[in-house]
This record gives sequence, C-alpha cells and structure tokens, in this order.
Amino acid sequence: MIGIIDYGLGNLRSVLGAVEKLGHQAAISADPATLALADKLILPGVGAFGDGMRNLAERGLIEPLSKQVRESKIPILGICLGFQLLSQGSEEFGAHAGLGWIPGQVRKIRPDDATLRVPHVGWNDFDITGDCILFDDVPDPALFYFVHSYHLETDPDITVGTCTYGTPMCAAIQSGNVFGTQFHPEKSQRHGLKVLQNFLERA
Amino acid sequence: MMLRKRIITVLTLNDGTLFRTKLFKPDYRYTLNFVDAWSVDEIAILDVSRGDNPDRDRFLSAVGEFAQTCFVPISVGGGIRTLADVPRYMKAGADKVIINTGALENPALISDIANAYGAQCVVLSIDAAKRDGGYEAMSHFGTRATGRDPAAWAREAQDLGAGEILITAIERDGALQGYDLDLCRQVADAISIPVQVLGGCGNWQHMTAAFDVPGVSAACTQNIYHFTEQSIASAKKYLSAKGVPVRV
Repeated sequence: MIGIIDYGLGNLRSVLGAVEKLGHQAAISADPATLALADKLILPGVGAFGDGMRNLAERGLIEPLSKQVRESKIPILGICLGFQLLSQGSEEFGAHAGLGWIPGQVRKIRPDDATLRVPHVGWNDFDITGDCILFDDVPDPALFYFVHSYHLETDPDITVGTCTYGTPMCAAIQSGNVFGTQFHPEKSQRHGLKVLQNFLERA
Repeated sequence: MMLRKRIITVLTLNDGTLFRTKLFKPDYRYTLNFVDAWSVDEIAILDVSRGDNPDRDRFLSAVGEFAQTCFVPISVGGGIRTLADVPRYMKAGADKVIINTGALENPALISDIANAYGAQCVVLSIDAAKRDGGYEAMSHFGTRATGRDPAAWAREAQDLGAGEILITAIERDGALQGYDLDLCRQVADAISIPVQVLGGCGNWQHMTAAFDVPGVSAACTQNIYHFTEQSIASAKKYLSAKGVPVRV
C-alpha cells in the first residue's frame, strides 16, 4: 500500500488519482498507525513551509515518519512543498526548521533577469543530471509543471535533475531511499505519470 | 531551456453543468467530453451560478469528478469569500484557487490564503470594463462597479501575496475578436507576477499577439472550438512556428 501523507495542505486527491490510475492501491492518511503499514510514502504539497511543518507536528507525524524513513528505509517521495520539507529549513515567511532528512535550505527564487516573474509557474524543461530510477524511460530534457516561489539549495551530490529559470535550480533529488521533485509529477501529463510509476515500481 | 507559455482552458459551470459564456452570460451547453485533458497545459474551472444560494456542493462534485481524470494543474474559483471556504475547493482537486469578488470585498482574503497555502495558490481574477480613458474592475460577475483601476488593483493584490493575475476584458467575452491588448499591457506592466489573459480569443494570431505583451505567461480560452485535440495541437503548432515557446 502507498501511504499518502495528509497534513492538511497537500493536493491529495490529485496524487491519489494519479497513483490509482497507475494501478496501485493507496491510502490518504494522517494516522501514524495507518501510515506505518505503507510500503512507500508520498509527501505531497501545496502550501507554505511553516504551516506544513506545524501541521506535521500537530498530527504527531514527525517522529514516526522519521523512524520509517531513516531507520526502516521506507522509500519516500516528496513533491513540491513536500520536497522542500525534506530539507533542513526554509526562509519562507520567517525561518523554519524542516524535516532534515536531506541537506540544504529553501530560499526565495530571485532571478537575475528582471523579465522572469516569480512565482515560477508553468511547464519548464527539466535536465536529468544524475542517475536516478525516477527518470528511467523519461526523455532528457522533459517538460514538467512547476509552481513555486522558493527553491531548494542543496548538495550537488544528491541533485539528480535541474530546471533553468534564469539560473539552474535543483528540481529533483535522491539520497538513498529519499526522493523528491520540485515539479508536480501528478500534474505533468504522461512523463509525470512515468516518474510516479518509476517511484512506485522501482524505488 | 526555458519556461513555456501556457494555454489554459477555462470551464464555466452553471449549476454544475458546463456552459460556454458570452458577455458573462451562460450561452452554450456542452459536455466534458469536449475537453481534451491531454493537450492542454492547465485548466481553470469557474462556478458562474447566480442567485443567492448557489449549490456549491454540486459544483465541487463536478470539479472533483473531472479532477480525477485530468493530470494537469487545475485552478478553481467562484464563491470563495473567506479562508474557511478554501479547503473544500482544494479537497475537490484544486491546485490553486481563483478569487475575485471576495477579494474586492475584503482584500485581506488574498494574504489569508497566501499565508496558509502559499502565494502560488492564489490567482486573483480581475474582470475589467472599458471606461472613457481607461478601465474599471468590476465585482459580482461584472455587474458592480468598484471604482478600482485594474492595474492598481493587480499591484495591490501582488503586494498582498497573490501568485498570479487573471485579467478578463468583459466586453471581449465570447466575442472572438482578440484579447484587449491595452488592458493586458497595463496590468502586466504594473506587476512582476505572472499574468493570464482571458476574453476574446478567436484565432491563433490572437494568442501570439497576447504573448507579445511582456509578462503575459498564459492565454486562456473558453471557446468550444478550442477544445478538441486537433485545435489545441494546431494552436501550439502555429505558436511554435511563430517562435513562441510552448509545450508541444
């Protein structure tokens, strides 16, 4: 079973719809006992970083999820805000600590080119920069849907894909069993669904 | 490589049923089978039901059903007045919400939603009516004057935390004579967040003209002729040949 973590902010139905479309069983849950049964976890995301961490804490999810991810090595995929929450922290609406499962900090997108608008919204080319099962049978570059005002600055060693908006930004990471994409695979048509399928079947 | 220009399909639902509108009135009924969920870049769904107490559950259940079959971003609006309204829209499958009258009545609604869901979640829609020497933002389906200049209102909304602006020229709705480019330009020049334009698209040249306006990142259309796979594909082929970066 795929556990989709409900922390009150994510676009959960979209993720559930995509997982089911790919023929997998999934449950949306905020209950640690239910999520403990999951073979794989997805941390979706639409929202603000501080609210995301607060909601995870209020639901008593941080400690059990950390055990599942760090000790039991359950594969997890963070999407958009969920991807950013994997990091050490963010400057969105003040300084907030993240889950700290991967190195890096989330910072505001500040393009050098004044004609580039923020949020970064739309279909952007994605360049595969590392060897990661998420992008098996996905064209390089691929087009994925992004919608974000903040981006992750992290270790190049865990960066497996970038998108360029003025300057290159980290758009996907893998660190062992921890996977993440800044773009929305569940909103990126066929190639996005392929990324999800790779996570579900190969991670 | 770069960020592509978007073509957004706007679906207007009246009492849970899909209608095309003309001059902001439901005009032509059709079904979701006409919506090509694969070629389009993004979908906006608006509840245009009038009356004192529209059946929002019916609208949101239609949104929910559609969202299950569609793997592109969806923004949903119509009837959002407070932050407490937003979770239902998100639960139905919205990735972003579109607000208009609610924000005009209470501009703090913009920051409330942005603080809770992030700026990228808030699309402020502005319905603009032409006035002597300018434009005026209208509320309540374009029926009530607000005294606000659309460009100044867009600027204020940006400062309050809106992530995108959807600007609609009321007089162009269903007219197929092209977007109101002066209006697009005034609004886009006033802000630094992405701009979506709606109202008047009748052919692919109208789209290239809109994308020539700096800051316009999405051309929206709700005309039924744009909904077949062939149409969106041919629009993108045309745009691509004209040098507009689109997702083909």
